[in-house]
Amino acid sequence: MELLRPSNVDQLDEGVYIHGGTEVVPLLRDGILSGERLVDIRGLVPRGVRDATIGAGTTLAELEVDPQIPAALREACRLAASPQLRNMGSIGGNLLQATRCWYWRLKYPCRLHGGDTCFAREGEHREHAIVANDFCASAHPSDVAAALLALDARVRTSQRELPLAELYHVPDEADRNVTRLAAGEVILELELPPVEASVYLKAMDRKKWSFPQVGVAAARAGGETRIALAGVAPVPWLLESADALASGDEWATPLPRTEWKVPVARALVRRAVAALG
Amino acid sequence: MARLIRTEKEVEGRFEEVWLVVEEDALDQWPVGPLTTVGRDAERKDAPERVRGEVRYTADITLPGMLHGAILRSPHAHARVAKIDLSRALSAPGVHAAIGPGDAHGLEEEAGWLGAPVAAVAADTAAQARAALELVDVEWEELEIVLDPEAAVERELFTAEPTRYERGDFDRALAEADVVVEGTYRTSVVLHNSMETHQSVCEWVGDTLNVYISTQYVWGVRDEIATELGIPRDKVRVVCEYMGGGFGSKNDAGEYTFAGAELAKRTGRPVKCALTRREENTAAGNRNATIQKLKVGARGDGTIVALGGEFVNAVGWTGWSAMTEGPMQMLYACENVRTVRYGAQINTPPMKAFRAPGFVEGTFGLECLIDELAAKLDVDPLELRRKNYADSNDGKPFSSKNLMECYALAQAQWDRRHDVRARSTDTWKHGVGMASQIWFGGGGPPSYAWIRVGSDGRAQVVTAMQDIGTGSRTAMAQIAAEELGFPLDRVEVSLGDTSRGPFASISAGSSTIPSMGPAVRAAAADAKRQLIEIAAQRYHLEERVLDIVDGNVVSADGNLSTPVEKLVEVLEDAQILGKGARGPNPTGMSVLTFGIHVVEVAVDIETGEIVVDRVYAAHDVGRIVNTLGARSQVEGGIIQGIGHTLSEVRLHDPASGRILTTTLDAYRMPTIADVPEIVCEFVDQPDEHLTNLGSKGLGEPPIVPIAAAIANAIRDATGADVHELPISREEMLRALEAAKKKEKRGAPAAV
Amino acid sequence: MASELIVNGHTYEVRAPVGASLAHVLREELGLTGTKIACNEGHCGACTVQIDGVPALSCITLAHAVRGEVTTIEGLRDHPLVDAFVKADAVQCGFCTPGQVVSAAALVAANPEPTSEEIRHHMAGNICRCGTYPRIEEAILHWRG
Repeated sequence: MELLRPSNVDQLDEGVYIHGGTEVVPLLRDGILSGERLVDIRGLVPRGVRDATIGAGTTLAELEVDPQIPAALREACRLAASPQLRNMGSIGGNLLQATRCWYWRLKYPCRLHGGDTCFAREGEHREHAIVANDFCASAHPSDVAAALLALDARVRTSQRELPLAELYHVPDEADRNVTRLAAGEVILELELPPVEASVYLKAMDRKKWSFPQVGVAAARAGGETRIALAGVAPVPWLLESADALASGDEWATPLPRTEWKVPVARALVRRAVAALG
Repeated sequence: MARLIRTEKEVEGRFEEVWLVVEEDALDQWPVGPLTTVGRDAERKDAPERVRGEVRYTADITLPGMLHGAILRSPHAHARVAKIDLSRALSAPGVHAAIGPGDAHGLEEEAGWLGAPVAAVAADTAAQARAALELVDVEWEELEIVLDPEAAVERELFTAEPTRYERGDFDRALAEADVVVEGTYRTSVVLHNSMETHQSVCEWVGDTLNVYISTQYVWGVRDEIATELGIPRDKVRVVCEYMGGGFGSKNDAGEYTFAGAELAKRTGRPVKCALTRREENTAAGNRNATIQKLKVGARGDGTIVALGGEFVNAVGWTGWSAMTEGPMQMLYACENVRTVRYGAQINTPPMKAFRAPGFVEGTFGLECLIDELAAKLDVDPLELRRKNYADSNDGKPFSSKNLMECYALAQAQWDRRHDVRARSTDTWKHGVGMASQIWFGGGGPPSYAWIRVGSDGRAQVVTAMQDIGTGSRTAMAQIAAEELGFPLDRVEVSLGDTSRGPFASISAGSSTIPSMGPAVRAAAADAKRQLIEIAAQRYHLEERVLDIVDGNVVSADGNLSTPVEKLVEVLEDAQILGKGARGPNPTGMSVLTFGIHVVEVAVDIETGEIVVDRVYAAHDVGRIVNTLGARSQVEGGIIQGIGHTLSEVRLHDPASGRILTTTLDAYRMPTIADVPEIVCEFVDQPDEHLTNLGSKGLGEPPIVPIAAAIANAIRDATGADVHELPISREEMLRALEAAKKKEKRGAPAAV
Repeated sequence: MASELIVNGHTYEVRAPVGASLAHVLREELGLTGTKIACNEGHCGACTVQIDGVPALSCITLAHAVRGEVTTIEGLRDHPLVDAFVKADAVQCGFCTPGQVVSAAALVAANPEPTSEEIRHHMAGNICRCGTYPRIEEAILHWRG
């Protein structure tokens, strides 16, 4: 294996891209990611916050204490992972992290790995998805992605600019990918439109260092409220409207052991909206 | 004088009749209360080097030429090796040896669980060894798997015959009871997760096998290896100076050691075999799941007249069935008790002892049931416990029992409940709950210690025990210092090596202090007697007027006060050698530990979040040796118990039996942020019938009552009866929903 | 591949394969065994070292990708926190403890008077199975003696 350290986008070769390494290194070791060329992209990904632009190389630890950052994102960073992981992990990498689904991590030949079975649906799925879970019941673990989705962030990559929502893709028969990032494409910056208020609430099974059971981000801009959820679908999940959940629980299609997530999501959404004032 | 006796020996609630040679315990107990060194705070003697990362754990041992072993594990929960071919693995880069079923103890053709050891490889690096495992070609014949413990019981698939117990007439008493409460309680599998994984380094020197191993029992490992290998026991030397936690899972040699010994023999080089974290969480033992169907009958005045339970221990493929029914039999004065315990053999990884095995699970069921009875009778739960206080254990007197004093200490904590409940809001409900603790912890013989005092006036305790992190070195040094009359910093402890020092107890079953402490004190007394004899001759005084206080030889009239090193300087290379042995336990008595926890919780009734705000613990474990270390032990047990209660659960795939939660992001132990305020007190009353020390063990008691106390606090806060561990949000929301329905039906809500 | 690695003020040349972790290099090549490996996948904090003063998980850090100076427990042996941990009894089996001290040293360097809440936030990535947490909190609160 070789390690390259390009210093600008033009020098970028294809390979396994690594920034903080908190996700890539374990996945390489497990053989879920593989390749003979490792590309350390820290030399070319911007780091730091300038006005409403966040360098994708900025760590979660830097963001959680940055007063320029909207509350929802700050809180999502603060409640994410462990202190060391927040020190190491970049916001760009965080958006691309894979599910914690144990079947996927244990390399079961599941649908995300190209197989024809979702082992979680029939098996042990108490931490899994409650929406868009028909094909694959994995839950997206990124607190930060939910916050950015509620904040309506835009993503600038080495190839294009797009709304964050378009970065994600609910896996299906034709396309098993969870993101739409092309080969050789790197997230460089995130752009945050102004918001009047924002909040992130998170249900965990210990007080710190836990992936979201349910995470709820809400942001208000121009009289409009956007709500996004973590831990409930194979991708960060944008609710159609703030009161999408008020009318009942039809929005969700929980599995037998994920029914408990529905009232938790409902309560957190209500609280998040209330917290926006 | 040595005496040969037939006696009952208890470890982790397992009893066996054994022949023992015991020596008289001739010393009187020390007076009650804090002494010069014993009964006071003592910093751990090895703390600075542990904190600085200087001590050498098994994980840190590298021997010249050392190879690394790795274990091939079954990919099926039940299967037989039809054919195995090691040749490709043997020719892989760096590989020096490969062995298969039958080549080493523990490597077997029939795998009864997914992860069972089958073959092993030794290579230059651990990575090479693991890579070579992929090249072992195995043809498997798959067999039927049973994963459901209740199905196993139905089919009479047991690890041992069912255990039945009855006193009085349970059926009649239950029929005549004014109030009956019944419930089914479930506890899940939890994992030890010692920070240092199971591992050993095996090295042959001539025909002697040196084994460096992370273990709770160097002597047990020595004997097990000698037996399996068919070599004399003194040809096996087992060393464990420092180890990174065990909690009951490191009492035996393990397949990794047997494989390592064989691989070391074949290669002529030392072999380290260390489990990965994922292997640790599959193959290194667990606290098995239980299902408990319990009944209690009481009179209207709160007298418990009948207790009954059917207990299923989901043991796994092998392992033993712990005494889950123990608390039901022993905690309350109830004349009519009937229990049956099944040890279900299923195709899951074998259980191992885990900090008060059986009693943690059984106390959750029983103490929740008792609180539900209190709610139904509308009586104060603490009063109910006092009313049914047991004065003997099935007719046997207790060697000592101060549970009533624990209740008295806890009264003020329990009285806080009105203020705590008043903090409730629309969504956050606050409440207080309690549970009692009963467990063993008396230790027993044999155990021996030596002490040597050199011409520098320093004492060294020598005994082949181990310090698994509980602070045994420090406690033994305190006991020796107290008896010798030496300052603590003049006493060192040498331990952890079967070839250096006499036999010492296992560090399990809360037995280290009660087993070893009396032997160390006896050895110190022997050494001190000799020092006094020498002083009498040197200073021409009668022995009876001489004593050693704070490192000085003193006479009763005060005319002599001289440092011990002055006395012994004439010895030069001569040494004073004291020896001591653990005397027998009192015959015909039950030696048990007791306590109570009072817990304050808050529950978010919309999201099912549970926050433990405060835990009060009062324990009765006889004399406390190190008050600082004892508090740490209580805190540690409570925190581990909070994990078992709220966030920890080992899950397996229901189709294959594969363990899914092998990594520490998925298996969630408490972090520092999950710790409540913890207040602890001790009765600190020596057990007058137990040894020259009067101390019982404290390693396990603090984890016993915490789950039930939390569950009972949740009931107090919300009216919901939680019946399953862990109390996940799913279980919490289910219980809240059930409570709501019960209320609607007009049944009285809980207090 | 060869890279330079600065550990506790000393410069070393690392010749391990590209995939080698910093923890592996520290322990196996440099003999700095105070850094422990307990999970080897970034979940427990036992392997915590500082890189330019910031706590990082050496078991999932590639040795060749380190940019900055590494401080291990061996570089913190004279830190007042050691004494504070001893006094507070913030050590049982001790296997997680060096990592705890490394995390705590970074915390008090950035914030010499952390509150309990700040301690709990910054120390939540260091798992202690023995449950010494209350003692650790006490040690950090009183780290200056």
